[in-house]
Amino acid sequence: MPQTLSTREANLFRTVIRHYEDKQYKRGLKAAEQILKKNPKHGDTMSMKALILNAQGKTEEAFSLAKDALTIDMKSYICWHVYGILYRTNKNFDEAIKAYKFALKLEPDSHQIQRDLAVLQVQMRDYPGYIQSRFVMLKARPQLRQNWTALAIAYHLDGNLQKAENILSTYEKSVTATPLRTDFENSEALLYKNSIIAEMGDFEQALEHLEAECKGCLDRLAVMELRARYLTELGRKEDAAKAYRALLDRNSEHPDYYKGLVGVLDIAADDEGALKAVYDEYAAKNPRCDAAKRLPLDFLSGDGFRAAAKAYLTLMFDKGVPSTFANLKHLYSDTFKKETLPVLAEEYLKEHSGDSTTDGHANGDSSKGEGAALYFLGQHYNYFMSRDLSKATEFVEKAIELDPKNVDFHMTKARIFKHQGEIAKAAEAMDHARSLDTRDRYINSKAAKYQLRNDENEKALTTMGLFTRAETVGGPLVDLTDMQCIWFLTEDGEAWQRRGDFGLALKRYHTIFNIFDIWQEDQFDFHSFSLRKGQIRAYIDLVRWEDQLREHPFYFRAALDAVNLYLSMHDKPQNGANGVEGSHANGDDAAAEKKKAAKKARKEAQKAEREAAEKAAKQDPNKGGAQKSKDGEEMKKKDDDPNGVKLAATADPLGDAMKFLLHLLQFSPKNIEGQIAGFEVFIRRNKYLLALRCLKASLALDKDHPKVPEQATRLRKALEGAMGSLAPKVKEVIESELAAVPGA
Amino acid sequence: MDIRLLRSSDIPLIQHANLENLPENYFLKYYLYHALSWPQLSYVAVDVSRPPKTPYDYPKIVGYVLAKMEEEPADGVQHGHITSLSVMRTHRRLGIAEKLMRQSQQAMVETFGGHYVSLHVRVSNKAAIHLYRDTLGFKTEKTESKYYADGEDAFCMKLELDFIREQLREEEDEGKDKKKKALKEGEEGEGEDVDEGEAVGDVGRDPAKGSKADQKIKVKVGRGLGVGELIEKDESKH
Amino acid sequence: MAEDRQPADIVEGATSGDVEDEVQPTAKSAEDRKAAAALSKLDSRGDDEGAAREVDQEAVKNAMSALGGGADKKDIKVVKVDAADVKLLVEELELPKPKATDLLKAHDGDAVKAMRAYLQPDV
Repeated sequence: MPQTLSTREANLFRTVIRHYEDKQYKRGLKAAEQILKKNPKHGDTMSMKALILNAQGKTEEAFSLAKDALTIDMKSYICWHVYGILYRTNKNFDEAIKAYKFALKLEPDSHQIQRDLAVLQVQMRDYPGYIQSRFVMLKARPQLRQNWTALAIAYHLDGNLQKAENILSTYEKSVTATPLRTDFENSEALLYKNSIIAEMGDFEQALEHLEAECKGCLDRLAVMELRARYLTELGRKEDAAKAYRALLDRNSEHPDYYKGLVGVLDIAADDEGALKAVYDEYAAKNPRCDAAKRLPLDFLSGDGFRAAAKAYLTLMFDKGVPSTFANLKHLYSDTFKKETLPVLAEEYLKEHSGDSTTDGHANGDSSKGEGAALYFLGQHYNYFMSRDLSKATEFVEKAIELDPKNVDFHMTKARIFKHQGEIAKAAEAMDHARSLDTRDRYINSKAAKYQLRNDENEKALTTMGLFTRAETVGGPLVDLTDMQCIWFLTEDGEAWQRRGDFGLALKRYHTIFNIFDIWQEDQFDFHSFSLRKGQIRAYIDLVRWEDQLREHPFYFRAALDAVNLYLSMHDKPQNGANGVEGSHANGDDAAAEKKKAAKKARKEAQKAEREAAEKAAKQDPNKGGAQKSKDGEEMKKKDDDPNGVKLAATADPLGDAMKFLLHLLQFSPKNIEGQIAGFEVFIRRNKYLLALRCLKASLALDKDHPKVPEQATRLRKALEGAMGSLAPKVKEVIESELAAVPGA
Repeated sequence: MDIRLLRSSDIPLIQHANLENLPENYFLKYYLYHALSWPQLSYVAVDVSRPPKTPYDYPKIVGYVLAKMEEEPADGVQHGHITSLSVMRTHRRLGIAEKLMRQSQQAMVETFGGHYVSLHVRVSNKAAIHLYRDTLGFKTEKTESKYYADGEDAFCMKLELDFIREQLREEEDEGKDKKKKALKEGEEGEGEDVDEGEAVGDVGRDPAKGSKADQKIKVKVGRGLGVGELIEKDESKH
Repeated sequence: MAEDRQPADIVEGATSGDVEDEVQPTAKSAEDRKAAAALSKLDSRGDDEGAAREVDQEAVKNAMSALGGGADKKDIKVVKVDAADVKLLVEELELPKPKATDLLKAHDGDAVKAMRAYLQPDV
């Protein structure tokens, strides 16, 4: 039976809550214990104590206490609510939702619990549940606009656009006072409604609404862009053209505006002169505009192209714009353009050679003029579509001769080495480039990347350490992990993998996996924040992006690496932990050598780790540097497998691979590399239907991929032996589906 | 090159650009905080000339400006602030940084009624200081000693945005004049020489339009007063 | 070029459910803390009464009743599913049970049809 508190203790209980809210955990704990001394079975106090323990990072203790509290007082909504909060802070959102629902049953009017539940529902994309919750919240406080907006969002995300619009309109009708023009919430709500109307495809109404209601909206750019789009959709070309011109006056570097304008001008697609005139107008208006001068190169041909390209290159070389090649290389899919550009660059070179050594117009800056043209040609011959590495070297060397301290030139030299397969020389050259400008992190990053490509993990980390925060406990790697530096973690993992240290490789891939978890969780706080801020369109944009988060190439690359590594671990099981020790008996000297080196490297890493830990331990816990330890604030969780030894020691590499693979297949089904890896995992696990599924996907994506017939043959072979043991229905599926797969 | 508004989906590659270029780095969530609080203020420069490699390519970010409005300005004046601005060294000399800044500044005034914009810059960063001071017109307010993690000092710089307000006011007035003229003539204005940001569309059609123009005058007064409206918390302080 | 430090308080991932707790400058003294606490209270109460926009209560009431009962019940076709088929799909396609059930339901409880459909690439 739950105990009841005396007045004095009831007051004390309130101070517990207050201390908790103020993050005064020690005081809160003291007060809670005072109550529990007299009332050891007061469920609510036990729960509050659990909550505080949880905030102090004592998760297990917190959970067990909260469970005890629940057994004592099943009917307390506080106990259930706390139980839900514990699950929530420990990222078990499904269980948290269940607990909140119990709490709400006991206390249906609790606004707080309802709000917590609603946030979890939208986080978990339980839209029907979210609609229900937001409806209850609206009913409780219909005078608040954000409650109306929130319900509209719930319907919108659930795909019910009409309902979403109705709700916004209903609220608008119930408002009596005209909102101020500076009422940001109002301005955004109008645009949000407008975007819903457009999403329904009714551009007529969207335009009407925009012009009638949104003229004064504070997000002017949005109004202008939407208007241009609607006018275009409605075929009101003349007005649309004006709208696009207004946009171009605002920002002449946005190609979409030109595209929009040209699209409504009724210019024949082959009338290059007329098309170019459109761009010329803006080039003349904005002398510093790049897009207006560069974009015509996309559609011009023949002499028209030559003339425009010549003018463009001349301007860029004169200015010494380093990205000139990068900005033009997409033109190389057109053979004529690919051949014309270097000729023009050579012509420029002829006209300007010697400029920089005399008093030429380059004003002594040898990255301009002649240097820029040499640089362009160096990159041209280094590019895979026009590659001639000896010529590339020749031009880059000439450029370097002209300007020996130019970072960009040396960077390209390193790239040429890379393409020659001279990885060590490439790393060296990039590091030389770095030494020419030690205050620039960009070139520092590149140098580290090239060191990693050369399997120099330790050196690369030292290089990176030149720019990471010195105060971060644990050194550069911890800082790079904290700052979610995916590229480094990926390259570092791949290098460890090449060096045979599977533990550290897996460690990096798992770290990246975890960063994506964090990114997914990052949206959590915005479900309520955005409602208050009123930036609804940006919020919808966020939710939709988060739904696709793991299709990002950052994720794909690391996950594919991990899957492939697990596959090779399955095929060649290692004796020792970490895939490094043992197996010397194989007699493969090179491999053994590699492993020895990796082992040594890991020892070094461990040493660094130890030193960092010692350094951390020396710091006064009350004045912790980076983590300002507020009263009992959660300290950073200690990593109990910093070198991935446990990861590499897995008994079930294929099972571990699934964690990465599922996301690959779910979010990037159209990337054939993922499907191919999927097949490899499934066939080893005897999951024939799933292997077939991957194979069918690969086939649909690229039937000429060399892996496709190979995998088809292997599947057939595997099935020959297995057919007998398959369930009849599975057999039936395989027989009919496999028939459609070409190959023997 | 494409200069456009930042979208949530750009953020991993913005973070990437920041990590490659600058020593001060941020969690993805901090970028989200900007993108969801002031989505009108942050811009990116995108390399559009890269051929796509997979169906899941994300545009490569070669420059960005991450900006915000100061939530509780110490001086009580609504203003913008540049949290981070950077352009890949491979994409310099195209004026990208300046173009990003100008887009952001415009929105600071239009959308949030900002009076000025401030930023921190390393005292050793001559190129950046040149851009802010000479090209954009910033003034150095003060030096913040050891502002950066590596111990370097920062200049705190500031640019008054009156000139943009002025411009907007003129456009608004012009729009109104145009409207009156159009009403008189009963046809659409010429539209060529006037920015279309305000007063666009077929003006003559609605007799209620006249009263709308009057409303606009009120609004203008409202705007002067209204800045405070946006910073409720501030009012309690001052 | 221009850069700021990241505020020390910002935490990645899900927190209290509100980023503003983090990005607001931290209070330095006890005095400040009190003020900050008061402010945050104001804020949460703002949920209730803060935005005292002039809303026509009558109109709101009418609007509310017009909305009806919240989430609409969508018509769900009643399809009988064999538990053995669910088990088969869970095993062979490695789907969670509810998903396997939905997949079967979408194909009238026909396991072969359901599995074949699941095998088709969505290109």
